[in-house]
Amino acid sequence: MTQEITFWVLAIIAVLGALVAVRRRNLIHGVFALMIFFAALAGLFLLLLAEFIAAVQILVYIGAVGILLLFAIMLTERVTGDDGRRVTARGWFWGLVAAVSVFIFLLLPAIQEADLPESAQSIQPSVKALGHKLMNPYVVTLEVLALLLAASLIGAVAAAQGVREKKEGTNDA
Amino acid sequence: MNLDLIKDILVATVPLLIIFPSLFAFTTWLERKALARIQNRIGPNKVGIPCTRISLFGLGQPAADGIKMIFKEDIVPRGADRLFHLLAPILALIPAMLVLCFLPLDFSFFAFWDEGIAEDIKAVQSFALDGAVIFFFAITGLNTLAIFMAGWASRNKYSLLGGMRAIAQMVSYEIPLVLSAVIVVMYVGSLNAEKIVLAQDTLWFVFTPWGLAAFVIFFIAALAETNRSPFDLPEAESEIIAGYFTEYSGFKFALFFLGEYIAMFAISGLAVVLFLGGSLGPGVTVELVDGAKELESAFAGLPIIWLLAKIFALIAVMIWLRGTLPRLRVDQLMAFAWKFLLPLSILNILVAGFAYFIPQENIGPKVAVWTVSLGILYAAAKGLNSLNRADVKPREYKYAE
Amino acid sequence: MTLEHCLTLGAVLFCIGLLGALTRRNAVVVLFSIEIMLNAANLNFIAFWRFSENPDALHGPLFTLFTIAVAAAEVAVGLALVIAVYRHFKTVDLEQLDTLKEE
Repeated sequence: MTQEITFWVLAIIAVLGALVAVRRRNLIHGVFALMIFFAALAGLFLLLLAEFIAAVQILVYIGAVGILLLFAIMLTERVTGDDGRRVTARGWFWGLVAAVSVFIFLLLPAIQEADLPESAQSIQPSVKALGHKLMNPYVVTLEVLALLLAASLIGAVAAAQGVREKKEGTNDA
Repeated sequence: MNLDLIKDILVATVPLLIIFPSLFAFTTWLERKALARIQNRIGPNKVGIPCTRISLFGLGQPAADGIKMIFKEDIVPRGADRLFHLLAPILALIPAMLVLCFLPLDFSFFAFWDEGIAEDIKAVQSFALDGAVIFFFAITGLNTLAIFMAGWASRNKYSLLGGMRAIAQMVSYEIPLVLSAVIVVMYVGSLNAEKIVLAQDTLWFVFTPWGLAAFVIFFIAALAETNRSPFDLPEAESEIIAGYFTEYSGFKFALFFLGEYIAMFAISGLAVVLFLGGSLGPGVTVELVDGAKELESAFAGLPIIWLLAKIFALIAVMIWLRGTLPRLRVDQLMAFAWKFLLPLSILNILVAGFAYFIPQENIGPKVAVWTVSLGILYAAAKGLNSLNRADVKPREYKYAE
Repeated sequence: MTLEHCLTLGAVLFCIGLLGALTRRNAVVVLFSIEIMLNAANLNFIAFWRFSENPDALHGPLFTLFTIAVAAAEVAVGLALVIAVYRHFKTVDLEQLDTLKEE
């Protein structure tokens, strides 16, 4: 019973957060709504007994990706959205049609006609088992992921710094 | 909602809500007195018992401060984002209090008062989350968000600057913090706070070379995470007015203050659990009960007394450092995190890993491994230090002719 | 809380993300929306794992872990590119970034 209520509350918070994030003119408000969405999703992961993933979601998405988005917004323009420009692109109607039709004609039938298992088995959430699996069958994926993160870090720094002219030696703290 | 659920919720949260804010009040008094003595003055000594002239060394000062803050006028700047201006202090307080749940606080001293309550508390508190340590770090990361909100919502250049610097600092120091905790987790094999405490029954982790290095790195990074001196550039009173909480007055400022101190408690609590043996001490031992390790103590309430005593020792060291060390400049701060603490903590993990797998049954190999690891860590620290030294030439003095 | 509920929620969130990616003008908001879509997919993975017959294989959490890491890497690179674009064109408005268009 409490599980049902928690699920619905978290689901409504997630949907509202996502909607505010994509519709809001003020980008900072949008990012905070996005973080509420991430937190609601972490709550849903906890409800589905994936506790390590919930912790990683908060740590990575709210603690890192969200802050990164905030910094990027600071470094670009139109933060508070005080101007009179439109928020949506020129073809927004067809974008809305596309999104709604993907939902109604593609995803809903897939969910309803699938043969889904009825009840859930009891799971003992254990971080140790996850660690074992990461080391034994999936160690190559882990190493490739590490390489990917290193490459993206170097690439992001290189792309964001731009071409350095000979005189300036700007050093970001 | 049945009554049991409400009772469980109350039992789990009310002790924390009573104990830690009162400890916070005591700590503010302690800090002001200690800083004053370090700075060769007396500190608050007038306010004692209210409405009398008895001044018990100024112990009533926290109460006076609290009353003052509650009654101050709440000023919000005209162009400020009102919703975020209100939310920021609340969001600064919530993660700090939330992480207190993950510490293995043992409230069985309630058994003095009523056996039934002690049983209920034990049943609720022994909900040992399997991934407690990583939840701790995840939720501590939410502090950065609150600081950004405070800096942004005030519509003040200096607040924004302070907020940005604070976030850069906190994000950079999170990495050595987590990496030094990884060593303890590697040794214990579990992220569970209670198991970590129970695994330190023979030797606290701070007494091993890699544990000592990890403890020092963790403590320094914890100072930076909670924006304490010498890393308090974001809230430096002499430089940027008050940084990200310039525009806050009255109760909201009190909430920020409370949040900062409780974050200090929480991170010291984690340092004690990870490195200093948690609730272990004289009178509290680990016994094997039905094949599983459990904590046994001489009388109920001794474990939490030891835990709080150790937390207070760490807080005292933090206050001491605040009084004695000068503040780091922002580029020195960032260089310290990325060029010194991060390589050192990675090297520490490697050294701890080697020491874990080399068999050390006899005393000979054990001494050898410990000396070698101590040597490697010391050499690395010295090496990194000399690599990072700024190129300063000896000063040239120009005298008047 | 059945599997159908979780999957429907995931589908709704995915479509909200899709809406954001297709309608907004600002490049950073398009990045937000991509994150929303990735999170909805993660929710699907965890939901399927929870209701699966062999939860000890831990395929749900593992895949989600990898997805989270890859998404973080992608956001970092994407934002670096947005900053580089801003530096050159002085705008992140997607409607004005049309120099590759034929006349």
